[in-house]
Amino acid sequence: MSVSFTRREAWRNRFLILPSVLLLAAFVVYPAGFAVYTSLTNEALSGPAAMNPRFVGFANYAKLLTDQNFWRSLAITFWFVLFSAIIGQLVLGLLSAMLLNRRFALRPLVNAIILMPNAVPEVVAALMWASMLAAGEYGTLNNIVAWFGVDPQRWLTSFPLTMIIIVNIWRGIGFAMILMTSGLSSISDELYEAARMDGANTSQIFRRITLPLLVPTIFLYLLVSTVSTIAIFGLVFALTRGGPAGSTELVGIYIYNQSFNSYQLGYGSAVAVVVLVFSLLVGMLYVRALKVDV
Amino acid sequence: MFKQGLWACCVLTTVLAGSHAWADTVRIAEHRQARIDALQAVIPKIKEATGVDVEIVEYPGPDREYVSKLLTELAAGTGPDIFSLPEISQVVDFSTAGYLQDVTAEVQGSEAYGQFYDIAKQLSTSDDGKIYIMPTMLSVQQLYFRKDVLEKAGISTEQPKTWDELMQRAIDAKAKTGQYSLMLPMGVTWGGGPFIEGFRHLLAGSSNPQIATDDGKLDLTSKGIGEVFGFYEQMVKNKLLPVDPLLGPEPWVIPKYQMFPAGELLITSCGSWCLIFDWGPKSKNPIPDVTKVVGTWAVPGKDGGEHVMVSLSHPWAVGASAANPDAAKKVLQAMGSIDLMVSYAANEGNLPARKDAVDNAEFQKLTALVPIMSYLDKGAYLKTAPGFSTVVEGVARATEALLLGNTDAAGAQKILVDYAKSTLGEDQVK
Repeated sequence: MSVSFTRREAWRNRFLILPSVLLLAAFVVYPAGFAVYTSLTNEALSGPAAMNPRFVGFANYAKLLTDQNFWRSLAITFWFVLFSAIIGQLVLGLLSAMLLNRRFALRPLVNAIILMPNAVPEVVAALMWASMLAAGEYGTLNNIVAWFGVDPQRWLTSFPLTMIIIVNIWRGIGFAMILMTSGLSSISDELYEAARMDGANTSQIFRRITLPLLVPTIFLYLLVSTVSTIAIFGLVFALTRGGPAGSTELVGIYIYNQSFNSYQLGYGSAVAVVVLVFSLLVGMLYVRALKVDV
Repeated sequence: MFKQGLWACCVLTTVLAGSHAWADTVRIAEHRQARIDALQAVIPKIKEATGVDVEIVEYPGPDREYVSKLLTELAAGTGPDIFSLPEISQVVDFSTAGYLQDVTAEVQGSEAYGQFYDIAKQLSTSDDGKIYIMPTMLSVQQLYFRKDVLEKAGISTEQPKTWDELMQRAIDAKAKTGQYSLMLPMGVTWGGGPFIEGFRHLLAGSSNPQIATDDGKLDLTSKGIGEVFGFYEQMVKNKLLPVDPLLGPEPWVIPKYQMFPAGELLITSCGSWCLIFDWGPKSKNPIPDVTKVVGTWAVPGKDGGEHVMVSLSHPWAVGASAANPDAAKKVLQAMGSIDLMVSYAANEGNLPARKDAVDNAEFQKLTALVPIMSYLDKGAYLKTAPGFSTVVEGVARATEALLLGNTDAAGAQKILVDYAKSTLGEDQVK
C-alpha cells in the first residue's frame, strides 16, 4: 500500500467525520464551554445582574457546597437512577428479553406492549400518568384500587419518588429489552446445548452461561441508561414539576428551577457543570474500570 | 452586463422593501386564549389608528412558562416588540435588566393618561420617576363566598371584621355544611397565585403591611409575614381547604372551576375576573345568577379594618430589542384605548384603567363589573423592589410546605427567607 494512498485515505476519513465533528462542536462542545464560562459569573435572567453580569470566580461552586437543596436533589437523583434505571429497567428488561426469546402464542402482543411506552412522547406519557395517579375520586388508579376496597390515595403526594420511579421503569423497559435481546442473540446455542448435555439445570445455565456472556451488554446498557437517567427532565417535570416540596426535584429539574424560575443562570450553570463532570466520571467508571469495549 | 445590473437592482429593491415591511410589523406577544381573543378583536382598530401592521404571537398559557420564555428571548435580544407582564412586581426586575424601553413620554403624552385612575398612574411609575409600562387593566381582588350556601346553613354573611372572625366563620361553615370553607391559593404549581391571590391580601392587613423597604430591600423577617403564615397554618390545620387538588399540575381547576360552582368550596379569594371568566358568562361551568348567589367581602385586617387589593393586570411594555421602537411605541399608545380595555374586560374580567371606560356602552353591559369600578379609588397595594419575583416564588414554596404539613408558620417564614437569601444574596434581604 503506497504512502500517498494511505494519506489520501486518512484525509478522506477526516473529511467523512467532519460533519459529525462540526455538529458536536456546535451543539455539545460550545454550549458546554459556554456553560462553564457562565458558571463563573453571576449572570441572571432578570434584575440588575442580567444587564451587567460580573465575573465571580468560583463563588457559585462555593455556594453549591452549602446548598442543602442541591445535595438533596443529588440524593434524589441517586435513588431515582438506582431504582429505576439500574435495578428496575435492567431486571425487567432482561426478564422481558428472556421471555420473548422463547416462542409462545402471544409473543408479538407482549413485545408490542413492552415497546409501546417508547413510542409515546415524553410529555404525553407524563400527562397520561398524571391522570392515572390523580388523587381523590378523579384518579384512574384510585378507581382501580377501589375495587379491592382500598381507600383513594394521594399517589403523587404520599409516594412521589416511588411513583416517578415506576413511571420511568415503565418507559425504559423497552430499550433495555432491545439491548438484552441483542445480547442474548449473540450467545451461541451450542453453549446451551453443551450445558444441557452436561446436566446443567435452568438456573445453572443462567448463572454460568447467560449472565457472564451478557456482561458487556449489561454494562453498555448501564452506561447509556445511567447517564441518560441522570439527565432526565421532561417526564418528571410534566408529572410533578419536582414537587411536592421538592421531593422529586431531580438534579435536571433543580438546574431548570435555578435557571428559569429563580432566574440565576450563573448558579444554574454551575450545577449543570458539576452534573456534567459527575456524568463523565460515571461513564469513565463503566468504560475504563470495567474494561468494556464501547 | 446591463441585464445583470438590472437584476441586482430588482433583488436589492425587493430585499429592502421586504425588510422595510418587516420592520414596520410590530409583534405583540400574548398568551391564554381569552386574552388572545380580546386582543384579536381590537387589532383592526389599532392598525387603523397607527398605520402600523400588527402581528399577534401566541406564547405559552401558564404565566410561569410565559415569563420564562419571554425572559429567555429578551436575554437573547430576540424578544417580541410588545408584551405584557403578568404581575406588576415583575416590572422592576425587567426594567433593571434593561429589557424595557422607557415609554414615559408616550404614556404621559397619550390621550389615555388624563383618564387613568390615580392608582394606575402610581403603580405604573417607577421609583426613578420613569414609566416603563402602559397600564390598561386593573384587578380588584377580595374574598368571594357562596352567599346561598352560607345563608342556608345559617352562617352570617356580614363582612368579617378580623382574621379571627373570618377563620371562625370558615370553621363554623365547614362544621355545618361539611364542605371546604376557605381556600387561599397555596403551593408551587399555582405559580404566582399563592402570593398574588392570597398572601399579599393578608399581608396588607397585618402588623407590617409592606415588604419593600424605603432603601429598596425586602423585609421578609417581619412580624407581619409570620402572622400571615400563621393564618395559613390555621387554615390547613382546620382542614378548611382541599389539599389534593392544590398539589396537582393545574391546581386552580378543581377548586375554582368545579368545587366553588358546585357549592363544595364556600369562600375563596379572587379578582373581578371570577365573575366573568371563572363562574360568569365566559366560564365553561357558569354559576346561574352569579352576582346573586356569590357575595364579596373586603379582606379584613388582622385586628380590624378592611381593604381590597388593587393591582395592575398585565400592563404592556415595549421590549428594548424591538425591531422598530418608534412603531412599537406608537402601537403601545394606541393600546391605551377604551376599546382594548373593554375587550379585555369582556373576555377576561379585569377592569379598565380609564375612568371614562365606565360610560362606554359595551362596558355597561358587563353588569357584574360595573359596581366593582368604585373600589378602584380606595384599594390597597404593595410597593415593589428589585428581586420581588423571588418573594413570589418563595411564598409558593413556603405555602406548599404548610399545605403538606411539613412545617409550621415559623418554618414557612424561614423557607421564604432562606430561598430569597440564597437567590438574591444576603444584602437584598433585610
